[in-house]
Amino acid sequence: MLREEELKTFVDGTTRYFEVAAQQPATIGSPYLLEGEPAMHDYTGMINITGKREGVVYFTAPRAMLTVLLMKMQESDFSHESMRDLVGEVANTISGNARRDFGHDFVISVPSVFAGEKPQISQPAGARAFVIPIHWRSHSAKLVVSLT
Amino acid sequence: METAKDTSARRPVKLLIVDDSNIVRRRIERSQQFDDLEVVGTAANGIEALELARRTDPDLVTMDLTMPQMDGIECITQLVKLKPEVRILVISALSDKATAVEAMERGANGFLDKPFTDRQLNEAIAELMY
Amino acid sequence: MLLSGVDRNRRLLTAAAGFLLAAVMGLVLIIGFRLATQIRGNVGTLQRASELETYPSVVSQQLTALRERLDTLEYTGHVHAELAESVRGFDRDFAALEREHDLDPAAMHAATALWHSYTPVLTPVLAYHGEPYSDTATNSSLSRSGRVFYAHVRRAELFAQANAAALHRQLAAVSASLQARTAAAASRLRWLLSGGVLAVLLLGLAAAYLQLARARGERAAREAQEQTRDILATVREGFFLLDADYRIGAVWSKALTHMFGRENFAGLSFEELLRDKVPPETLATATKFIKLLWGERAHENLMKSINPLGQLEVSMDNGRGGKETRYLQFDFHRVTGPKGVKHVLCAVGDITSSVLLSRELHEAQENAHSQLDMMVSMLHSDPLQIGTFLDSASAGLKHINAILKEPARSHAEFSKKLAGLARELHAMKGEASALNLMSIAQRVHHLEDMVAQLKGRSELTGNDFLPMVLKLDELLAHLRGVREMTLRLTALRDNAPSPEATLSTPALRIGSSGPEELAATLHSLARKLAQDHGKEFSLTVNGLADCPRSYLSTVKDCLIQMLRNSAVHGIETNEVRRAGSKAAGGQVRVDFRRAGAGYELLFEDDGAGLSPETLKEAAVRKNIITAEQAAQLDNRAALALIFKPGFSTRSEVSMDAGRGTGMDVVAKAVYGLGGKIGVSTNPGRFTRFKIALPAASETAVA
Repeated sequence: MLREEELKTFVDGTTRYFEVAAQQPATIGSPYLLEGEPAMHDYTGMINITGKREGVVYFTAPRAMLTVLLMKMQESDFSHESMRDLVGEVANTISGNARRDFGHDFVISVPSVFAGEKPQISQPAGARAFVIPIHWRSHSAKLVVSLT
Repeated sequence: METAKDTSARRPVKLLIVDDSNIVRRRIERSQQFDDLEVVGTAANGIEALELARRTDPDLVTMDLTMPQMDGIECITQLVKLKPEVRILVISALSDKATAVEAMERGANGFLDKPFTDRQLNEAIAELMY
Repeated sequence: MLLSGVDRNRRLLTAAAGFLLAAVMGLVLIIGFRLATQIRGNVGTLQRASELETYPSVVSQQLTALRERLDTLEYTGHVHAELAESVRGFDRDFAALEREHDLDPAAMHAATALWHSYTPVLTPVLAYHGEPYSDTATNSSLSRSGRVFYAHVRRAELFAQANAAALHRQLAAVSASLQARTAAAASRLRWLLSGGVLAVLLLGLAAAYLQLARARGERAAREAQEQTRDILATVREGFFLLDADYRIGAVWSKALTHMFGRENFAGLSFEELLRDKVPPETLATATKFIKLLWGERAHENLMKSINPLGQLEVSMDNGRGGKETRYLQFDFHRVTGPKGVKHVLCAVGDITSSVLLSRELHEAQENAHSQLDMMVSMLHSDPLQIGTFLDSASAGLKHINAILKEPARSHAEFSKKLAGLARELHAMKGEASALNLMSIAQRVHHLEDMVAQLKGRSELTGNDFLPMVLKLDELLAHLRGVREMTLRLTALRDNAPSPEATLSTPALRIGSSGPEELAATLHSLARKLAQDHGKEFSLTVNGLADCPRSYLSTVKDCLIQMLRNSAVHGIETNEVRRAGSKAAGGQVRVDFRRAGAGYELLFEDDGAGLSPETLKEAAVRKNIITAEQAAQLDNRAALALIFKPGFSTRSEVSMDAGRGTGMDVVAKAVYGLGGKIGVSTNPGRFTRFKIALPAASETAVA
């Protein structure tokens, strides 16, 4: 079962990314349990966790948010590829934080990135998914964590 | 009892038991296993305890901390003034350590946490008196 | 201790050897110097003595030469002068010799006597002045005085010839004695020097040995020191000494660095060490605790249990740049010397694994207990009731999740969620405890606690809700477990052979979730509440059979809530009742009846009633209304305060009431059905709730 400090690590990894990349921290909304199909935004960066624990963590964000984020990062390329790279980066940061905090218990995959198409999510059996809304400026994204 | 060695040579140790609970008082009285230990009195609060201490001149006092009328801390303070030589073993349920430390500051010699086993009680008495 | 004693002795010995060496060398020098001086003097004297030895024969020869010259009438002047010179020299040297001590006295005496005997014969010779010859033109001859002079010379010559040998012998004896004496001194000097060299050699050897031993001792000490350093660098515990001012000594074990994230601890005060890790009160208690060790009364072994730092939670680097929670245990020990307590040794151990293990063990036990509780309570409950509860609990949790899901970014938005969450949770807890499903009730209670804590916060963010959503997940998992267990139990019962067995205990009866079950639930809850709160009361339930099924769920919720309020707030303890001249054992009545087109539910207890003033005070205290508003409320309006969200008259929180929701849930449910609720009371006598419900449309099943 997911522990509080684990959830915190994933959340902090995400909000910190905004703080470091765009000098403006993201805040989180009220977390809830996912019911039914996950709601995906335009771009999704996902890591799979295997080993002693199994699960999936993904960050999904709308194009508008990513565009502003890229602007804040002084980027001028707002192409599809840039967006994909960006959500991949966020997923990477989350994975780095998790490795730092939990080390050997977690085997973390290379982030996979989805845009538009419905991603293949192998949610672990018996684990519910936690949805944490990520607010940044006027935009909202989601961090979804599901871990045995 | 192996801790009570060479009992013949010594005058008996006089024990005063102070606790507001009947059950605990009887428990202490029953559990001590020293041949040369004589229970000279039991008191249910601090005032009784001081009164009995004056009359019976105990060597060792087991002391509860939370009691009606006069609590253990106050009782220890006065008891040490009255009889500086007396050994005091606090036997109390440890809720906050600050109070326990205060009891020791006032002059208690040791602290035994409730609930305690017979063995713990006897070891504590042995530590203080033998 | 031992080492330093040996060391001190060795030092003393070395010092003694050095002192002796200096003394011996000084003595040898002084004596040697004196001996050398003596020898040098002796050598001078010896020279003089051996010179003296030649004088007798010289004098004799000079006298002979003088006489022969007189015989041959040759010039005598220079020979006479030489003689005078010799005699004077002899006199001078002899006098010098006489001044010497320790000469062979007999020889010296004889020599003196002999030389003195020369004087009478030599004096006339030496005293002669004048011309010994009288010259004529052709020849020369002795003059008159010359003839006298000649006689004197001749006499002296004869005397000298006769005595020269004797005098020489005596002088040789003196010289020999002097030589012997010098030889003796030289030999003494030789001995002295050999002895001195030997002594110096021995002392040097001794000093060298001592030096060697000391070096060996120092090496041993160095090795011991090195080993101590190795131990301190390797042990996993943090060790250091505290002095009477609570300052850390010069030596500590390396493990401290990791535990406290600093390199240097020398002179650091205990307070500085722990200031960021320990709440100030704990630190103050810990300081007092350590102080006890400096006193004489406290027995170290009998104060372990009161150690305020027996288990300290700290945040530490996990070595990968992150933080992790560890548990440290501080042990304190007296270090005594001959003059009492010297230091307090502090040993810090990392007991994280044992803490976690015991916690897991505890949790497992707790789980086992609550699972057992669950089994027992389920065996005593109606599976259908449990099923109904589980359905409504699932719906409640869905609602809770929906509340959480509502977007929120500001404090106000987060804050708004709390009231809704509290209401849902409270209702769920009420039902769970009514069914004696304590494992569920406890979990819901825990969630309620979290909500209640957040209510006090001045600033709320999404982070504050993270623990709650995890607990919610846990509760859902638990409910799923309970549901599975219920299904299995139901299956078991359906296969049970004897119907009497299941009917014999009313709680095991299988029936529809109808009015009868509700009455049974209320009775069971009443018994439990009476027991839990030390109250005594009887419950009378009438007319619930008339309750339409569509209202049953709401009526149940309302009745459970009101019954709990009565048991906790309304009904007094028997002592209080007696004091108020009331019959022991309270009465709670529930009446359900048709009224006009609709229904009426009456709930009444003969308890303490409601005091408008107390209600107003409580409402002001809880910031539901202001004091000014309170002053303007009449009694009716004051009574209506109990339907306000967040109202509670009890300050402490128990599982059954006093959480600040309750009657607002009831009121909300009643309004939801299009009904009305009213309250009347007589302080000290009764509280009565009257709920009016409209005619039910059977299709409106929730």
